[in-house]
Amino acid sequence: MRPGQADLPTRSSPPGIRRSSHHGPLALGAREAARYRGDMSSSFPAATPGLDPESEAAPRSRRARFLRALTPRTIGLTLASSLLIAVALAPIFELPFTVLLGRTLFVGFITLVARSAALSWRQRVVPSWVLQSITVLLAATLATLAVYLLATGGDFSAVVQHEGRIQGFVLISGTGTIVGLMLALGAFERQRDSEAKAMSLDLALQRSRLERLAADTRLAVLTAQVEPHFLFNTLANVQALVETNSPRAPAVLRSLIAYLKATMPRLDDGDAQLGREIALVRSYLELMHLRMPDRLHFTVEGDPALQGFPCPPMLLLTLVENAVRHGIDPSETGGSIAVRSSREGGLVRLVVRDDGVGMGESAVPGTGLANLRERLAAFYGGSARLELTELEPHGLLAEILIDVPATDAPRTTA
Amino acid sequence: MNAGTRTPSDERDDDADLAPPRASGAVRALIVDDEPLLRTHLAHHLAQLWPELQIAGQARNGREAVDLVMQLQPDVVFLDVHMPGMNGVEAARLMGPDVQIVFVTAYEQYAVAAFEQGAIDYLVKPFDAERLGESVARLRRRVAERRRMSAPSPAAGGLGQVTSEAREAGAGALGQLPAGELDAVLSALAGELRRRAPAGTRLQWIRASVGQMIKLIPVDEVLYFRSDEKYTLVVWVGGEALIRKSIRELLDGLEPETFIQIHRSTIVNLRFVAQVIKGPNETAEVHLKGRTETLSVSRNHVHWFRQY
Repeated sequence: MRPGQADLPTRSSPPGIRRSSHHGPLALGAREAARYRGDMSSSFPAATPGLDPESEAAPRSRRARFLRALTPRTIGLTLASSLLIAVALAPIFELPFTVLLGRTLFVGFITLVARSAALSWRQRVVPSWVLQSITVLLAATLATLAVYLLATGGDFSAVVQHEGRIQGFVLISGTGTIVGLMLALGAFERQRDSEAKAMSLDLALQRSRLERLAADTRLAVLTAQVEPHFLFNTLANVQALVETNSPRAPAVLRSLIAYLKATMPRLDDGDAQLGREIALVRSYLELMHLRMPDRLHFTVEGDPALQGFPCPPMLLLTLVENAVRHGIDPSETGGSIAVRSSREGGLVRLVVRDDGVGMGESAVPGTGLANLRERLAAFYGGSARLELTELEPHGLLAEILIDVPATDAPRTTA
Repeated sequence: MNAGTRTPSDERDDDADLAPPRASGAVRALIVDDEPLLRTHLAHHLAQLWPELQIAGQARNGREAVDLVMQLQPDVVFLDVHMPGMNGVEAARLMGPDVQIVFVTAYEQYAVAAFEQGAIDYLVKPFDAERLGESVARLRRRVAERRRMSAPSPAAGGLGQVTSEAREAGAGALGQLPAGELDAVLSALAGELRRRAPAGTRLQWIRASVGQMIKLIPVDEVLYFRSDEKYTLVVWVGGEALIRKSIRELLDGLEPETFIQIHRSTIVNLRFVAQVIKGPNETAEVHLKGRTETLSVSRNHVHWFRQY
C-alpha cells in the first residue's frame, strides 16, 4: 500500500475532492499534510505484518502450521537418529537389523508427527516446551508399544510376560524419548532465536518506513496549494470592494498578493526571516478581518530586534490559521487573536493567543500543526519546541520557544 | 462563473410569470451570510436586477436565519452554506416548504454536485451579474406561480399560506424534487458538511494539567500511558503528566494501529518502540527509542509481537 492510496473513511476526503472548512485557508498544504498523516496511520498495519493483530491471530491454517514442522530437515534428522539408534541397539537385540531399523523408524516418525501436531495446537495453558516434551514422551512410548503389539499380533500379555520384549520396549522407547526430546528442544531454541531476529528486523523495517513517510509529509508541505474555498471567498470580497469603488480595495489586493506569494510552493527557504513571517501573518489576518469584521479582531506585535531572526516560512502562519480555523471561525460571536514575538535572554518566544472556542481533544490538527514540529526540528535542530496551552475561560495559547545562545546578539536587518 | 446549464423542468413558459405581487405586498427576501461585505454586495446587485424585491432582513448565521424566516415570512432566502454554528444546509431544512431558497457557496465540488442532484438553486461565489440574473428570473417565475396558486383564503390569507394543491404541484419550494427526496439530498449534504468540520472521532490531543496550566499534548508525541488505580501517567517527548482518563477510555479514542495495549495498565505508541525482548513465561519487555525505562508486556498481550 503506497501512501496516498490508503484511505481512512472517517477522515480522508473522497478522491478528487479537497477537504475544506469555512474560511480555513489551506495554505501550505497543511491539509494535504494532514491527509498524509491519516494515510500514514491507516496504512501502518499493512506495512508491518508482524505487528498486525489480524494476521497474528490466525496467520495460517492449522494444517499449514502442522506441515510447517515437517521440513526436510526434521525428516532427515528423524531418519538419521532412527538409524543411529538401530545401529547402537543392534548388538543387544537378537532381531535381524532390518526389523530393528523398521521399529526405530516407525517410532521416530510417529514421534515427529505427534510433535508437529503439538506445534500446530494453539494454546496458552502450558508453555510450548512442556507440551512438546510430554508429546515426545507419550508418542515414543505408545509407538513402541504399538510396534510390539503388531509383532505379537495384538497380544498384550505376550508383550508384558516376555522379559526380552519388555527390555526391548524400554530400550526403544527410552532412547526414542531422549533423542526426540533433544531434537525437539533444540528446534525450540532455534525457533526462539529466529523469532527474535525477525522481530527486530520487522521493527527496523517499520521505522524506516515511518521515516520515509515523514519525508513525504515534508514534501507535501512544499507542494501544497491554497485552498480554493479560501481563495474564492476572499476574491468574492475583493470583487465586492472593487464593484463598489471602495478605497479599501487596493490595500486588500496587496494583502492577498502577499499571502499568495508567501504560500506558493517553493524549495528555497534560506532567506526566511521572522520579519517576513510577521508581515505574512498580518496580511492574512487583514484578509480574514475584511471577511469577518465583526467576528475577528487581532493584534500583531513583532519585536523589531527580531526582524532578521531566522524562521522557517509559514511557521507563525500555521499557528494563526489554526487559531482562525479552530478558535474563531466556529464561533458565532468570534474573538480576537494576538500574535507577538519577543526575546527574553536566551529564549525567543513566538506567541499566538486566541480567545475563541478552543480546540477539542479530537480536533484534527489539519492546518499544518501536525508537521510543524518536524519543521521546527528540521530548521532549529532540537532547540525549538511548540507548546499548546488551554486558556480560561476559553481559547488557546500556542507558543514556539526557541533557545538561542545568550551571547548571540540578536541579528537585525539593514 | 456561469453554471446556467441547469433549467428546472417544470418551469412553465412565461404566461403570467412577471405578474405583479399579489395584494399581500412586495416579494420579500432574506440574505444570509456570515461575511457582511458579501451580504451588502448581494443586496446591491439584487437592487439593480430586481428593483421590486424588498430585502426584509439579513442574518449572519443559520440560527439567526431560521429565526428571521419564522418572524418575517420572506418569499426568498439567499443562504450561504458555510457559516459558524448552524450551517446553511441545516438551516434550510428548518425553514419549511413555503420559502424559495438559493444556496450561495464558494466553489466546493461536493456541494455543487449535491445541488445539481437535487435540482436546487445555487450561486457560486464570486458570481457575476449575469448568473445572478438567471437565478432572479427563475425566482420571479416561481414566486409568481406560487402566489397564483395560493388560494385566497378569507380566514387566513397572506404570505406563507399555500394550498395543498400548490404543495403537490410545487413539490416543495426548494426545487423540483418531491419533498422527501429533497430532504434526503439536504440531509446527505448536511452530513457531508459535518464530516468535513475540523473535528475527528479519534483523540488527537491529550489534555493534561502541568502546574497551573492545561497543556494540549499531541498524541503523536506520546510514548506511552500507564495507569494506577486513580490516574494515568502520560509520558511524551516533552515530559510527563497525570491525567484522569482511564486506559479503557484512552483505548477507545486512540488510533488502534498506532497505540496498542501491552499490559492491563499500559498502552504504548508503536512509533516509539525500539525493540521487544522476549522474557520468560510468554512475556516480553518493550524498549523505547531514546528512553532508559522499559515496559513489560503481559502474557495476554504478547501476541502483538509474536511472529507466528
